[in-house]
Amino acid sequence: MDMPLRAADLCGNDLDGVIPNESELTAGVRIVPGRSYGFFTDTTLCIGCKACEVACKEWNNLPADHLGLTGDSYDNTGALSANTWRHVNFVEHGVRDDCGTPGQSGWLMMSDVCKHCHNAPCLEACPTGALFRTEFDTVVVQQDVCNGCGYCVPACPFGVIDVSTLDGKAHKCTLCYDRLKGGLEPACAKSCPTNSIQFGEVTELQQRARTRVNALHGAGVKTAYLYGVPDGPGATGGLEHLNAFFLLTAQPESYNLPRAPTRPANRVAPSLAAGLTTIAALAIAALSFLAPRKG
Amino acid sequence: MPEGNWDGTTYYGRPQLKPAPFNKWLVGGYVFIAGLSGAAQLLATLTDLRRGRAETNAVRRGRYLAMLAPTIGAVCLIADLGTPQRFYNMLRVFKTTSPMSIGSWALVGFSITSTATAALQCMADRGRLTAWFRALARVTQIPAAGLGAVLCTYTASLFSATSTPRWAAAPFSLAVRYASAAVASAAAALSVGEPRRASLGRDLDSLAIAALVTELAATMAEQQTVQRAGIDDSWSNLADTVSAALALGLFATSLLLPRQRSRLLSAAGSAIVLAGSFAMRVNVLRAGQRSAQQPNVRLSFAQRG
Repeated sequence: MDMPLRAADLCGNDLDGVIPNESELTAGVRIVPGRSYGFFTDTTLCIGCKACEVACKEWNNLPADHLGLTGDSYDNTGALSANTWRHVNFVEHGVRDDCGTPGQSGWLMMSDVCKHCHNAPCLEACPTGALFRTEFDTVVVQQDVCNGCGYCVPACPFGVIDVSTLDGKAHKCTLCYDRLKGGLEPACAKSCPTNSIQFGEVTELQQRARTRVNALHGAGVKTAYLYGVPDGPGATGGLEHLNAFFLLTAQPESYNLPRAPTRPANRVAPSLAAGLTTIAALAIAALSFLAPRKG
Repeated sequence: MPEGNWDGTTYYGRPQLKPAPFNKWLVGGYVFIAGLSGAAQLLATLTDLRRGRAETNAVRRGRYLAMLAPTIGAVCLIADLGTPQRFYNMLRVFKTTSPMSIGSWALVGFSITSTATAALQCMADRGRLTAWFRALARVTQIPAAGLGAVLCTYTASLFSATSTPRWAAAPFSLAVRYASAAVASAAAALSVGEPRRASLGRDLDSLAIAALVTELAATMAEQQTVQRAGIDDSWSNLADTVSAALALGLFATSLLLPRQRSRLLSAAGSAIVLAGSFAMRVNVLRAGQRSAQQPNVRLSFAQRG
């Protein structure tokens, strides 16, 4: 019988030209179904080279959004969109006065990406089941199921997912689902020359990130903190934690991130209850107005 | 995290969120139609239960009015999809975390039961086996009315269960507003066809007044909540308040006048309720999309845990 081959069906993933479990060599982690994977993006290491943006576009075959200059520092990408799944922010904080060398610019760079939330609002909102949680604990849109209703778009508290005008379906970062299946590290993390984007198991990454924050605090960068770890900013309102989390050195809003996002699904039951109670009250009023009349 | 509160910084004034990619006329129109149809079915059923023999005309009109949602409403929804030919994928799963999913199933259930009720009504009117068809319609109208109640309330939940500041800020008052607006519009629509010499028209006007008072109270409560959340949306709420108050005044005056002379006032009130209800849905949709594109609104809204 003619069956299409999937990477998972190939034991030892011995595809032509693919090193088995290549991620062990590039990211120091073996990719095993059933475990949680994500990104730790350390913005203190980012140099704004946008290799992640290019690698993502190349691997995922994504079209350009626009070609032009925005005038906003070196950020000519604009925002995450249906066709842009990595976006490097450039935050200019004037001239630095906290380092020995005079005239150094206070430039913050941050490679933004889908957060692959633990309680993902887009997934919870999706009425077709197109958005699903993979065996790697990531959130992916099934392109053959999505009907482009667009409800995931306002659901996302980070403004990540969008419906493409090219094909009428929702798109966002898949955390390179196809590459994970083949034992490969995601394209953006693999291409990052400074290791600002680190791929790995979420609990291991969180530990690594805490160690890094302590090291930075020790080195005098007192403003370093984590965005998206349990009980921290970005992981509020029932989102629990973000599988793709960040080390930041300025307030979240500087990077266009919300300080306290919430989980929209928590509002479903109260809202439905309030609406149905109103209907019930008005129905009782109707029954009294419509009482049978004589004559 | 650095100590202190947000100092108002934005990222080059760029939006933090993406607005819902809904066409405001199609989706606003659907929300209006869903409310009107759902509440019309509910009122037809209540009228049938209370005054079945006396008010067969009003019950018939209510059952036919309920057919707006399965027809025009469904077409509006499908037309707004990015990939309309896959509309049936809405019925692959059922999710309680997604009002869009709850609503899709409610619309399907409402469509089946309402179409059955309307068809039975039509057969009963043709004259053969009238008693049988009428009895069957009295059975199918019960689930139709229940699903109608869901249909005219879930839409508020659909908007509130998002990250859009204007919709997420006040889930309770928006739900009360949508539910009462739906009942007001259905009562107003059914009242139009009623002959003034009969009492039902005036009873429906009274119900519309009760619903409009509820809607006005909810609108004011919502205005307070939304403003406290730092979202300025006085204009669209003002428009809704004025139209609801105007209709309220017309209905109230028509009730005070002698029956024969009240007809025009009542009809004008109904027209304003229907137009105002539609405009309100479009306004809320547009105000939400605007709030998602204002980073200062969004970022100040996302301060409270």
